[in-house]
Amino acid sequence: MAVKTATDKKVAKKRVIPASVTRKLEGSIFAAPWIIGFLVFMLFPLAYSLYMSFQQVRILGTGIEITPVGLKHYRYIMLENANILYNQLFPFLRQALIMIPIILVFSLLVAIILNQNFAGRGFFRSIFFLPVIFTTGQVVREFMNQGEGDIGFIQRYNITSIIGQNLDPTWASPLIAVMGSFVLVLWYSGVQILIFLAGRQTISSSVYEAARIDGASPWEVFWKITLPGMVPFILLNLIYTTVDLFTFPTNPILTQVTSANYGQSSALAWIYFVIILVFLGIVFWLFSKAQKASGLAANK
Amino acid sequence: MTRLITAIKDKRVDQINWRLGLTKARYLILGKEADKGLLFRAFIYLVLIDVAYIYLNPILFMIVTMVKDSADLLDPSVIWVPRTIYLGVLQDAWEKLRYPKQFSISLMLSLGVAVLQTISCAVAGYAFARLEFPFKRFWMFCLLLTFIVPIQVTILPNLIAASQLGLMRTYWPIVLPALFGHGLKGALFVIIYRQFFSTQPKELEEAAKIDGANVFKIFYKVMLPLAKPAILVVFLFSFVWTWNDYYLPSMYLNGVKDVPLSLGISQISAMLSQQAAEFGPSIFDEPLKMATAFLIILPPMILYAFTQRWFVEGVERTGLVE
Repeated sequence: MAVKTATDKKVAKKRVIPASVTRKLEGSIFAAPWIIGFLVFMLFPLAYSLYMSFQQVRILGTGIEITPVGLKHYRYIMLENANILYNQLFPFLRQALIMIPIILVFSLLVAIILNQNFAGRGFFRSIFFLPVIFTTGQVVREFMNQGEGDIGFIQRYNITSIIGQNLDPTWASPLIAVMGSFVLVLWYSGVQILIFLAGRQTISSSVYEAARIDGASPWEVFWKITLPGMVPFILLNLIYTTVDLFTFPTNPILTQVTSANYGQSSALAWIYFVIILVFLGIVFWLFSKAQKASGLAANK
Repeated sequence: MTRLITAIKDKRVDQINWRLGLTKARYLILGKEADKGLLFRAFIYLVLIDVAYIYLNPILFMIVTMVKDSADLLDPSVIWVPRTIYLGVLQDAWEKLRYPKQFSISLMLSLGVAVLQTISCAVAGYAFARLEFPFKRFWMFCLLLTFIVPIQVTILPNLIAASQLGLMRTYWPIVLPALFGHGLKGALFVIIYRQFFSTQPKELEEAAKIDGANVFKIFYKVMLPLAKPAILVVFLFSFVWTWNDYYLPSMYLNGVKDVPLSLGISQISAMLSQQAAEFGPSIFDEPLKMATAFLIILPPMILYAFTQRWFVEGVERTGLVE
C-alpha cells in the first residue's frame, strides 16, 4: 500500500509540467540542430552579405577593412556597367522562359508513359533516372562543351537560319541556344520526372476505373483526371525547375560572384536573389490565375 | 413462322459474328482501353527508345572516344566503332587525376556528408512533420527560404568566416553544415523527409506512446525503420550530388594539393585549355577529357546500378511530394 502511494506521488510530481509544454520541449530538441544550423549557416551569412553589399571590403593580411559606401555597388551594377548584370541576365531569362515549359511538358509526358505497364519498364526507368545522377556535375559541362547537346536535324534542315529570318533577334538567339542544347534541356529533367512519377501515384486507381466504366475516352481521362490531379506537382516542379536553373553553379551571372570584390559580388548576389524572388512571384501569380480561369471554365 | 424467326436469328448471329471480328481487330490495334493497343504500344516504345538514346548517347560517346587511338581519332569514318581499343588515354587520365588518392578523398567526403545529412535531415524533417515547437510556421518559412536562396549569396560571408576561423583549405566548411541538416541541398532533403513522415499513419506513434515509449524511442524504433525508402533516396541524392559538386570544393580548397575528383577534373580541363592556347590543340585533348569524365562518373554509376531497384521503388513510396 505504501509503495503504491509513493508511485502515485511520483506520477503526481511528474505531472506538474503540463503535457503541452513537454511536447513542445521534445519538439524543440528535435528541431534545435536545424534551427542552430539555420542561424549559423544561413541567417548570419545572409545578413552579413547584405551588410557587405553596402561596404567596400578589403581583405588585408592584418584583417578586414570595411568602409561604408552606401548604394554605390548597386548603382554601379544597375546603372553604370551593363556588362555585369544586364548583358548576361536578359538572354538568360529569355532562355529560362523557353526552357522551363519544355522541361515541364517533357517530364510530365515521360512520367505518364513510365507509369504505364509495359514490358521492360524497369529497364527504361533505370535509364530515365540516370540524369538525376549526372546533371549536377562537371560531366554535363564537358558534354556541353563537346557539342553533344544538339539534335542532328537542326543542321540538316538549316532550322537556325529559318528561325533567324522569321523572328526578332532578341528571341531568336535564345531559342537557337535552347535548340542547340536541346538534349541538355532533357538532361535537366531528371528530378522533375521523379516528382511527377511520385505525384502520379497519389491519384487513386479507382478514379480511373470509375471513369472507364462511365465510358470516358483516354484523351478525356488525361485532361479531366490526370492533369487536374497533377496540378500541385506541376506547381512544385515549376518552383523546383526555376530554383534549379537559377542557382546552377555554371549560371552565367553567378559565375561573376567571386572573392575578387566582396562588396560588389554581394550586391550582385542580392540583386540576383531579388530577381529570383520576383520571377517566382510571377510564376505563382500566373499559376493561380490560370488555375482560377480553368476552375471557372469547369464550373460553367 | 418458326422458320422466319430462325432466319432472323441466323442473320443476327451473322451480324454479331462479323461485328465481333471487327471489334477484336480494333481491340488488337487500338486496344480495349486505348493504352493497351498495338498502335499505342508502338508509339510508347518509339518515344521511350528515342529518349533512352538521348540519355545514353553522351555516355556511349564518352566511352567510345576514350578508347580510340590516334589513327581512329584522325579518321572521320570511325565514329562509333573504333578499330582498336587503346587504353593509353585512360591510363594517362588515371595518372593525371592521381585516381586512387583523389578517389579516396571524394569517397570520404561524399560518404561523410551523405551520412550526416541522412541523419540530421531526418531529425529535422520529423520535427517539421509531427512535433510541436515554438514558431513552427515561421521556421517552416525559413526552411522554404533556405531552399530558394542561391548558394552564392551566402558563400562570401562563409568564406570570410572560414578564413577567420582558420578552416580554409580543410574539409570542415563542407562537412560541418551537413551535421546540422544544411549543406548542399540540405533544405530539399528536410522537405523530402517532412513529406514522407507526414504521410505515415499516426496510429503507430500513438500505439508506441501508449506503450510508454518517449519521443526519442518512437523516432528511433518506429519512424526510422519505416523511413527506409526516404533514407535511401536522400542518401543516394546526397552522395551523388556531393560527389559531383565542384563549386564548394573550388571555393574552400583553393590551392590544396589533394582535391576531390570533381575539382581534379576541372583542374585538368583548365590545364588542357591552357596547353591548347600555348602549343595548339592536341588530338588527345578530347579523349583525355572524356576519360577523366568517365573515371568520375564510374563510381556513382556502380552505386546506382546496385541500388536502383530500391531507389525506383523508394521514390514511389516516399511520396516525395504530396
